[in-house]
Amino acid sequence: MPQLTDLTAAVAAGKRIDTVRITQELLAAGISPQDIVERGLVPGMAIVGEQFKRNEIFVPEMLVAARAMKEALKLLEPLLASAGIKPKYTAIIGTVQGDLHDIGKNLISMMWRGANFAVVDLGTNVSPERYLAAAKEHKANLVGLSALLTTTMPAMKDTVRIIKAAGLTGTKIMIGGAPITQAFADEIGADGYAADAGTAVDIAKKLVEQAA
Amino acid sequence: MKSPSMTGCERVSRMFARREQDRVPRCDSFWPETITRWQREGLTGDYDEVMRRLGADFQSLCWCWPAPFPGRREVLSQDAETETVRDAWGGVARFWKGRSGTPEHISFGCDSRAAWETTYRPALLAAPLAANLPDARRCAAEGRALGRWTHLTGVEGFEALRRLIGDEACLVAMIEDPEWVRDIVDVHTDIVLRTFEALMAGGLEPEGLWIYGDMAYNHATMCSPAMYRDLVWPAHKRMAEWAHSRGQRVIYHTDGHVRQVLDLYIAAGFECLQPIEAKAGMDIREFAPAYGARLAMFGNIDVMKMATNDLGLIEEEMRTKFAAGMATRGYAYHSDHSVPPQVSWDTYRAIIGFVERYGTY
Repeated sequence: MPQLTDLTAAVAAGKRIDTVRITQELLAAGISPQDIVERGLVPGMAIVGEQFKRNEIFVPEMLVAARAMKEALKLLEPLLASAGIKPKYTAIIGTVQGDLHDIGKNLISMMWRGANFAVVDLGTNVSPERYLAAAKEHKANLVGLSALLTTTMPAMKDTVRIIKAAGLTGTKIMIGGAPITQAFADEIGADGYAADAGTAVDIAKKLVEQAA
Repeated sequence: MKSPSMTGCERVSRMFARREQDRVPRCDSFWPETITRWQREGLTGDYDEVMRRLGADFQSLCWCWPAPFPGRREVLSQDAETETVRDAWGGVARFWKGRSGTPEHISFGCDSRAAWETTYRPALLAAPLAANLPDARRCAAEGRALGRWTHLTGVEGFEALRRLIGDEACLVAMIEDPEWVRDIVDVHTDIVLRTFEALMAGGLEPEGLWIYGDMAYNHATMCSPAMYRDLVWPAHKRMAEWAHSRGQRVIYHTDGHVRQVLDLYIAAGFECLQPIEAKAGMDIREFAPAYGARLAMFGNIDVMKMATNDLGLIEEEMRTKFAAGMATRGYAYHSDHSVPPQVSWDTYRAIIGFVERYGTY
């Protein structure tokens, strides 16, 4: 029988067929879906995030790993849902108003899912009001704002201001994107900034755990 | 401003040869909204007038990006701000109405190897050449009259691949179906070079080839250097060899952090890197000393600093980077991307002054 560590290795290597097969075998052996996610799949994506941060792997390897995890989750999510088990944290993500770019947002979304966050993707050109409404509706622990263009950075400031003004004390705000810096995050009052998809997982975990 | 003692063509040619120049060659890019703002603030004229005031030295003769269905632009839906369009590459994307910005790619018609082989590959190969010879001749005449360094401009295989099948499919295919990736890159490169051949046969005699292809983001290249070397680099090398065999110099444009692949660029035959994106951590003060003799540096002036309109900050950025680049004689001015509309016309006029002050040898 395969071990959870085999599943971790398969995900980290982006081996989709192996990941699905091992997941099926672990389920058949009586391992709980929650353990498979938390002790098999999530550690695999954590390895991917670390390797990505160190430039040992690049976006293609990250994508195939995320795809492998997604295939395994298709098997597990119905079982988790029927047992009433949900991810501990919920994140809202979107590209800010005035910006239609979505590559960075999609990568972060994949990595957050890989870290066992429930992720609600609002898409692109998201108004501050839509972010706020979604954060309230889903009781979000985290709101992620993405922007590619220097011209759309001001929309981040408006979004942060509106969410902060709503007094959602359990909701942290993270920003990222090509023109974004820690200094800009500090300037507009965002709680966190990540330079890349690997770091985005670390910062997200830190922020939601602080707020919990 | 002193009268220049060289034409732009002489200046740029000497930059490539690392010979003495009167001043650094110049060019820049702007968001359309930037020009609109400047017109409100006193600019009389448009992009061409800004180029004239800057003293631009480069003249493009064409824009070659082969598409399988040239001219197709089918509006599928629209709202007050955006319209969703099926384009010449078979993809569906949402664009802003009346303003610039990156589109949202919704779907890609070439979504499988089968679609490529049965529809898109034959369509690309059957499409008319992506060149307009009369326009190119007009640009060449204009460039010659202005004394500029003229160049062909075309998109390379990686950018074409992303446009055709989308980022996610492209990057996954680089692992799961590398032969498909090679085929798309090769077919695209064949068509681009065939197009350039047709232009040359039509009497054009450009000094260079300017290749466009963003292959990095702000942290690293989109794929590993090894994967780039294996799948895309051979086509880059082929384009550079084609240009060199016709006496042309080669400029390569990519955004993002490409520090890890500079040696591969040089090995491919690229002789100049542009625009060297500062916000992606690229800083010529760091790598010009090591690479400047082999790779000319074109740009790197941080638009984020320009956008502050803080002339002291901008001047320091330009003074130090010009010094680093000019020490190799292989430097040309350009912003590190496109000048955004946060930059006032007064600021940009000051920037032109800094180019003159610090960019004179």
